[in-house]
Amino acid sequence: MNPEKALMTQEPDARASDVSDASDATASEVSAPGAPAATAGTTGATGVHARIDVSGVAAAPGQRPDAGTVFECADVDVYYGDFRALRDVSLDVAEHEVTALIGPSGCGKTTFLRCFNRMNDLIEGARVDGTIHYHGVNLYQDEVDPVEVRRRVGMVFQKPNPFPKSIYDNIAYGPRLAGVKRSELDDVVEGSLTRAALWDEVKDRLKMSAYGLSGGQQQRLCIARAIAVQPDVVLMDEPCSALDPIATGRIEELIAELKNDYTIIIVTHNMQQAARISDMTAFFSVQANEMGHRTGELVEYAPTSLIFTNPDDPRTEAYITGRVG
Amino acid sequence: MICATLHDMTEEVRTEFHQLMDEVRADLVQMGGMVAEGISAVSAALLAGDIGGADQIIAADDELDLLSLEAEEKCVQLLALQQPVAVDLRTILTDLRMISEIERSGDLVTNIAKAVARLHGAELEPRVRGLIDRMREQAVKLTAKAMDAYAERDAGLASVLNDMDDVLDDLHNEYIVSVFASHELGKISIQHAVQLAVVGRFYERIGDHAVNVAERVEFLVTGELPEHLGANRARARREQDEM
Repeated sequence: MNPEKALMTQEPDARASDVSDASDATASEVSAPGAPAATAGTTGATGVHARIDVSGVAAAPGQRPDAGTVFECADVDVYYGDFRALRDVSLDVAEHEVTALIGPSGCGKTTFLRCFNRMNDLIEGARVDGTIHYHGVNLYQDEVDPVEVRRRVGMVFQKPNPFPKSIYDNIAYGPRLAGVKRSELDDVVEGSLTRAALWDEVKDRLKMSAYGLSGGQQQRLCIARAIAVQPDVVLMDEPCSALDPIATGRIEELIAELKNDYTIIIVTHNMQQAARISDMTAFFSVQANEMGHRTGELVEYAPTSLIFTNPDDPRTEAYITGRVG
Repeated sequence: MICATLHDMTEEVRTEFHQLMDEVRADLVQMGGMVAEGISAVSAALLAGDIGGADQIIAADDELDLLSLEAEEKCVQLLALQQPVAVDLRTILTDLRMISEIERSGDLVTNIAKAVARLHGAELEPRVRGLIDRMREQAVKLTAKAMDAYAERDAGLASVLNDMDDVLDDLHNEYIVSVFASHELGKISIQHAVQLAVVGRFYERIGDHAVNVAERVEFLVTGELPEHLGANRARARREQDEM
């Protein structure tokens, strides 16, 4: 199965209705059904993981030359109705790296994050111009099934949002919808919880409500739920902002582990967190025109070690050193 | 079109942090000034054989040591509490390195002061005296220029310090030849000649510390670590071994 076909195996209309019924926050995680998980594991020749030729892809400075490119974004603009929220963003996201998106409020970093799994489709009037290629496939072409995109590109939100179900069912929900056999579900649940570094803490109370977990545990549960459907990429939107430092530390350790299997893109307001966990950092800023309309833009995209020691753009330096509001 | 970017705003959101950094900068400039004054004072004491004056200079080094410790403590606090990045991080790293360089220059001034008593009774020839005065002039100049480069964040000025130091190195060589020529003519004892040679070495080292400060200033401003010939040779060897 080539990557393009893999993203288009679903009837877009049928799946879109699944999503529209779900709440915004849970949509991407609930929308697990796609190609059966067994055909789209995180490794192997099937599914989107068949490497595409990226020899001609421009890599950001310092990026590993041998790293595969997962996303290629070119001249991306995002509009909400007539309002342009983000303009001219071009960057590539490398496979098995953690890419951090930082910048002041309103700079469009979350808007940009939501482009990677077409979450902006769920917002009335939202429009994405420019191109985003996912393993060489234009994500926004008509034939692409957004639900399948969201299965491959999972998302974890700012506030932990477990379903009002048992710990077990939170994880099993997506795989079950994807057609994973009942006999295999136990393994999927254990595997996902283990990968999310939660198994040992919950293995004796899988049937209990997920609401009984602490905030940090709930967030790791949400990460386990996101990876239970075997995605390729995990998007994280300020996943630690509601957590204490210990829980934050656990999630950060987990991110370092997860990048061996997944590509991670994370929005964070915590610059020290971006510095600690990411390989590449994209700094976004916001400009206001004479009408007071504020549009986000990408200022600098470089290896994190460079951004935090010797950034190229004075605006990046001003922001990360706290010399501007 | 008038576009006001957020970055045009000069709002400072980490005022206390940056104020403390400015304090350290002022401390270091003050310390550099003390060293420059010390070089002039100790040279005058040396040429005048003023042992009392030299003792005062030795005592004054305590003040420099205290300032060094206080500045270092502030840097540690900034690193521990403020998580500096980018130019802030480079500044604090530079400050820490500079504290050692300046403090060491202060010790060299003290060493020259200690030599004043040991040289008691030595009759210095006019040529030797003249060279001491010229070494003094160069050492003060290098120290002051290095501190100017630091205070003004002037990488251009910092980059010429190394060449300026060649003048002091040449003076030092000339001075050593003169000291031992003076000994051979029977003007000074071998003990005094050796002591004078060591004093010359102290001036020459003060110049080297000024050059080190300048290299760190270049790093602070540009983010580029100074190139060291030896390090480059080692890097080339390492790369060759890996091939």
